Amino acid sequence: MANKHIIGVFDDENKLLAAIKNLKQYKANIKDVYGPTTNHDLIKALTRESLLPFLAVLVAIGTIIGAFGFLYYTSVIDYPLRYSGKPLFSFPPMVVILFLLTILVTGGVSVLAFLGRVQLFPGKQPVMIDPRASDDRFYLVMDQNFNPEEIKQWINEAGALEIVEKEIDTSTLWGF
Amino acid sequence: MISTSIDQTLVKGHKNYGQITDELLANTEGRPPLWWLVGIALGGLMLAFGGWAMYTTVTVGLGTWGLTNSVAWGWDIVNFVWWIGIGHAGTAFTIFFLVFRQKWAGSINRSAEAMTVFAVMCAGLFPLIHMGRPWLAFFILPYPNTRLMWVNFNSPLFWDVLAISTYLIMSITLWYLGMVPDLATIRDRTKNKLRKTIYGIFSLGWDGSLYTYNRYETLLKLLGGLAAPLVISVHTIVSLNLAMSVLPGWHATILPPYFFVGAIFSGFAMVLTLMILMRKVFNISDFVTEKHFDNIAHVLKYGSLVIGLAYATELFVAWYSGVEYEIYTFFNARVTGSFSTAFWIMVVCNAIVPQVFWFKKARKSILSLFVVSVIINIGMWYERYVILISSLAEDFLPSSWTVYKPSIVDIGIYVGTFGLFTIGMLLFVRFIPVIAINEVKPLSRIGKENKKTEKHGE
Repeated sequence: MANKHIIGVFDDENKLLAAIKNLKQYKANIKDVYGPTTNHDLIKALTRESLLPFLAVLVAIGTIIGAFGFLYYTSVIDYPLRYSGKPLFSFPPMVVILFLLTILVTGGVSVLAFLGRVQLFPGKQPVMIDPRASDDRFYLVMDQNFNPEEIKQWINEAGALEIVEKEIDTSTLWGF
Repeated sequence: MISTSIDQTLVKGHKNYGQITDELLANTEGRPPLWWLVGIALGGLMLAFGGWAMYTTVTVGLGTWGLTNSVAWGWDIVNFVWWIGIGHAGTAFTIFFLVFRQKWAGSINRSAEAMTVFAVMCAGLFPLIHMGRPWLAFFILPYPNTRLMWVNFNSPLFWDVLAISTYLIMSITLWYLGMVPDLATIRDRTKNKLRKTIYGIFSLGWDGSLYTYNRYETLLKLLGGLAAPLVISVHTIVSLNLAMSVLPGWHATILPPYFFVGAIFSGFAMVLTLMILMRKVFNISDFVTEKHFDNIAHVLKYGSLVIGLAYATELFVAWYSGVEYEIYTFFNARVTGSFSTAFWIMVVCNAIVPQVFWFKKARKSILSLFVVSVIINIGMWYERYVILISSLAEDFLPSSWTVYKPSIVDIGIYVGTFGLFTIGMLLFVRFIPVIAINEVKPLSRIGKENKKTEKHGE
């Protein structure tokens, strides 16, 4: 679905940040920002904190329990072989394996969860507002519905280089 | 470690983002320069030598190596530990400096991580080829099998397999994810259709959305947090391979921290060597400045002190223990005996030479930085040699003492890994921006016109 959007073009994160703060003050509907880089303030101004760490903690706990079960099963139940008179079940050497497996599985699941959530995959055709979004320009994309003239004025005041109106196919974009 | 004030200039000159993109992508564009082709050819030659050596090992057997009944671990494990040690610095760079908020590392971490990936690959080759039948390497993984057996989960050798494969996977992931926005930059810039397709596939459809960036930063922090203890654990586990045996000189609790510091130390030295070379051939001197080298030199200086302390502690504990075998290994075999040359090379290269970095002049001169960084890596190789071979060649029974000499096949495999490393690094500098462009862009503003916001922003 292609919709008309107002796009403010910036070349400086601080001006962009000022624009976002301006617009938020007036409760305007900011869709997204596209740019070559980012900083903490920008992220904080527009987005909520990601829930990824919570997922990671859950996966880590699950991995520890699962790996413990696996190690106990293999070394005590399925293949109870004594090495140099040591007990079949001994926790200290397990720590190393639990630790490494937790890191491996948690890391892997986090990456997959991230790629799934932001819908990035090999071969995806990105919807670039402009090729310069990965070079030296920031694009602040606004919904047309809310008082377009005032939006343009606020963006302009914050120091935008230019303001363009463009049809964007939002069906594959998320955040919209 | 090192304090970096926030309003310090990290990138020289007043560049806008477009200029930064242009300058940092220059190495991936145009025709490959002559030195690059020569380097690839040289690397190929070394790799061919290594290939021959590995072929000989596999077809004839481990008898072609210099190993004896006593010295069952020779150059292969020495080189393995050496490469793993070098590999540590890349992740250490990214992660410890992320944790300590050392922003200056932002322009080095991409190359350091590339170094990690290739060094760990080289390292992994040695245990693999040491098995004699590398095609059966999967036997060491725990999987349900017709032999109805499980691996020995109590063995440090198994931990090592797990640690190194985890480490390799994690460092490749961190390295690759970090470069996705930069690959997207190349994709959007290039006119060549083939390049556009290939970079398009690898950039995963990155569009620079702030919502994506938000999750991306969280993910990188998360992976960094996971990998930080991993870095420490990998070399600890490598040292446990030795420390859990009963040989004098190996059976010591100091080995894990000692190996870890050694790894960071040698890895930073290798980063310094490579960055000096890269700075020489690429136009990146505004991004990798004298200040960066200065900081690394400080780290090396303190690393050298810790290493020196570890050597002294080992000697002291051997003497203080009163165990005759320990005393023999340290004071007779290592300090004064058949391994004294290697021992003193190790002490001079690692504990003494890097102390020149107390002098500002030595830290400012590129030549001295380069020479010392190479000396450190030679010294670190000798450290592993001394630890491994001296304990094996002269242990409890004098009747089984032997002289260890590497064969041409041992040397070939070592040279081959250099070829692999060289080719890997050359491919990296040709196809991937050597400096993380998306990370350096905001850093270039630090200490310039936005001084005020930076101060409050932190």
